[in-house]
Amino acid sequence: MASEEEINLLVIVVDVNPIWWGQQAQRATELTLSKCLDAVMVLGNSHMAMSRTNKLSVIASHFEDSHFLYPGKSWRMGDSCGDDASSSGDGKYELLAVANNLIAEEIRKVMSKTEVRGNSTDTLLAGTLAKALCYINRVSKEFEVGQEIKSRILVIKAAEDCARQYMNFMNVIFAAQKQNILIDACVLDSDSGLLQQACDITGGLYLKIPQKVALAQYLLWVFLPDSEQRSQLVLPPPAHVDYRAACFCHRNLIEIGYVCSVCLSIFCNFSPICTTCETAFKIQLPQMVKPKKKKLKQPT
Amino acid sequence: MAALSEEVLLVVKKVRQRKQDGTLYLMAERIAWGPEGKDRFTVSHLYADTRCQKISPDGKAKIQLQLVLHTGESTTFHFSNDSSALKDRDAAKELLQQLLPKFKKKANKELEEKNRMLQEDPVLFQLYKDLVVSQVISADEFWANRLGDTNHADPSLSNNKQEVGISGAFLADIRPQTDGCNGLRYNLTADIIESIFRTYPTVKEKYCENVPHNLTEKEFWTRFFQSHYFHRDRINTGTQDIFSECAKQDEQGLKSMVVQGVKNPLVDLLSLEDKTLDEGYGVCTTLPSTSNSNRSVKESSNSAIIKRFNHHSAMVLAAGSRKGETPANQASETSNTDGNSRDSVFFQPPVKKVKLKEAIEYEDLQRENRPKTVALNLKKSDRYAHGPVPLQSQQYTTSQDIINSVNYIQHEMVNYKPNLTQVLSSTTASSAIAALSSGGVLMQAATQQAINQMVPSEVQGELKHLYAAAGELLRHFWSCFPVNTPFMEEKVTKMKSNLERFQMTKLCPFQEKIQRQYLSTNLTGHLEEMLQTAYSKFHIWQTRRMLRKT
Repeated sequence: MASEEEINLLVIVVDVNPIWWGQQAQRATELTLSKCLDAVMVLGNSHMAMSRTNKLSVIASHFEDSHFLYPGKSWRMGDSCGDDASSSGDGKYELLAVANNLIAEEIRKVMSKTEVRGNSTDTLLAGTLAKALCYINRVSKEFEVGQEIKSRILVIKAAEDCARQYMNFMNVIFAAQKQNILIDACVLDSDSGLLQQACDITGGLYLKIPQKVALAQYLLWVFLPDSEQRSQLVLPPPAHVDYRAACFCHRNLIEIGYVCSVCLSIFCNFSPICTTCETAFKIQLPQMVKPKKKKLKQPT
Repeated sequence: MAALSEEVLLVVKKVRQRKQDGTLYLMAERIAWGPEGKDRFTVSHLYADTRCQKISPDGKAKIQLQLVLHTGESTTFHFSNDSSALKDRDAAKELLQQLLPKFKKKANKELEEKNRMLQEDPVLFQLYKDLVVSQVISADEFWANRLGDTNHADPSLSNNKQEVGISGAFLADIRPQTDGCNGLRYNLTADIIESIFRTYPTVKEKYCENVPHNLTEKEFWTRFFQSHYFHRDRINTGTQDIFSECAKQDEQGLKSMVVQGVKNPLVDLLSLEDKTLDEGYGVCTTLPSTSNSNRSVKESSNSAIIKRFNHHSAMVLAAGSRKGETPANQASETSNTDGNSRDSVFFQPPVKKVKLKEAIEYEDLQRENRPKTVALNLKKSDRYAHGPVPLQSQQYTTSQDIINSVNYIQHEMVNYKPNLTQVLSSTTASSAIAALSSGGVLMQAATQQAINQMVPSEVQGELKHLYAAAGELLRHFWSCFPVNTPFMEEKVTKMKSNLERFQMTKLCPFQEKIQRQYLSTNLTGHLEEMLQTAYSKFHIWQTRRMLRKT
């Protein structure tokens, strides 16, 4: 018999791009990766504390791969995974303590394994989101039939967008939309057009926080409530999303342009041959009107 | 009051209208009724306004005549003269039948069409009210564009009426009734006669030959029904019977039909036999003989009636496919179906081929015969994969920088231990809260209320009507450009004045009204902008025209 309570699954995707965070640390800004992870842990704990049936997952997005920080692969509820500090001395809810320890352990592993290979330095965000969707799918299948599970993904973004991930990103967004999974975004540094689109399409919240130090506060205020509770709260309004397309020739964002009817590529200027599919076009020029010879009136 | 100059065509006394006695007058142009004793007419209708007249059926006690007007109203007159009520009513009816068509205006049909359109489409009706009733635009201009479409559609529809087929039971439907003393009464309607002619062209030939030279129509049909041709057992006695020839022709037709067989190669009628399991459970060794001599009397009479049934059905089907062609064509074209074929050979192959083809081919398994398309030849397909992220100059980091950063962070995270009690200081938290509260940095956009919540719904409705009306006027205005003909010039000038009138009569009062309600939002800004664009275009066109003239 499926229990009546709804299960809420929150998947937090943290951008742990070492290059960006390393640069941040070098500039001695106040928000370091450690502080960021602390804030994430606070949010995770709060989420799990809200209800017994809430579930959490944390994935770290790296430029090499995406790594599940929590739950771990071999983690079982009953196992004493860490004999050392599983029972923290402050009487905390054991699940939270275990989660925190696991996250800390995993991120240490991830960071120590980092190797610069020189191929790409962009965060593999699209891949991480895809992994998150797969995880959500797996979890929702594990429950009994009829058990409702509501999921959402929160992306904490640090580094810039990678234009090459555009296609995969859009696929992930539309897949999330079909599955009714919200994608929220908390952006630390530069605005990300892709995440803006993601939030707009799936119905999530996009926020670029002005004060990086107060990350935890923003996370708790804006991203802790789930979608039903958000309708009762006054939260930052959705930003205007720039849906303009970019022309294929210069990558300028244009509002009005020319589209090839064969291959649907967008251009900002008319050219008689489409450079993508090599179709020739004809445009009717306005008919030239011969100017009539006017008789000039001679002033008398 | 009755005009003295009007010519009175018919006066009928003792006609009641609405339970009042009175007199009915039919004049040259109208029909009127006045109550008894009074000089004035209380009811008067022009023939031009009348759509049609109706009379009560013959059997009813009340003898009435009803006039239905174009507007849908109807007036009923009850003829209550004891002796001559029916005659009076019929006289009035005849006169009206002659007079009404004269006054039927063609325009009424259009009026009905317009009414129908207005009733069906509430948006159109509202537009009509806004523009025509308030005299911003004339009715003709309003209907100019709209009626054009409907007039084209109608003729094509009326031509595609389907042909009515023949009921197989038309002969049985005649249903003779006993006439009392040993006679039979056959009720023949025009439909039945037509069916008989279409099914049995031989009978039609006989009819054309004999009527009206030799026999009257009644006599012809009496003979028809009396003849053995019509009756069940066709014993061909005959010489006297004009229909004996028909019977012989039918026999011939049937025989040739049997010889031709069915054109469908997959249907083998000959293999259908009555095979009875004889005594001995089908082990009977002697084959049942089919020669005519061994048949019993009963069998032969059965076969005769079955033959007649088959023939009748074949004739009905043939008549249906003939579709009322002229007699000249009948002989040559599809006459093979009724057995009297001339060109039967001509039609065999296509039917057979079609049937064979249907049986062996499956549509879904065919190779799709789509029109030939040109293959898409993409040279630079990676362009699609690039998102709308402009290729801006990114911050280039040297590889040394990268290595440094990575080392730094690794160093930092080696000893990472979550310190959850020191995540946030109260000052940073409160400043974040301040930014998130209403009025804060992040909440600026939220303070603007949605405009549709601030404006009352009647105002919204009125604004929608204004937009619809303005849109209609602007459409007329802009469709005049480029101005080529003098008609267009006139229209443009007229439309401009219409727009100005619209602005004066509709837009300005609306603006004043919302100002009075202290609605600070600018609801009519866009409308005014559109009108201004139209005015400036008109102005430019006018100055150009002036320049051209000088």
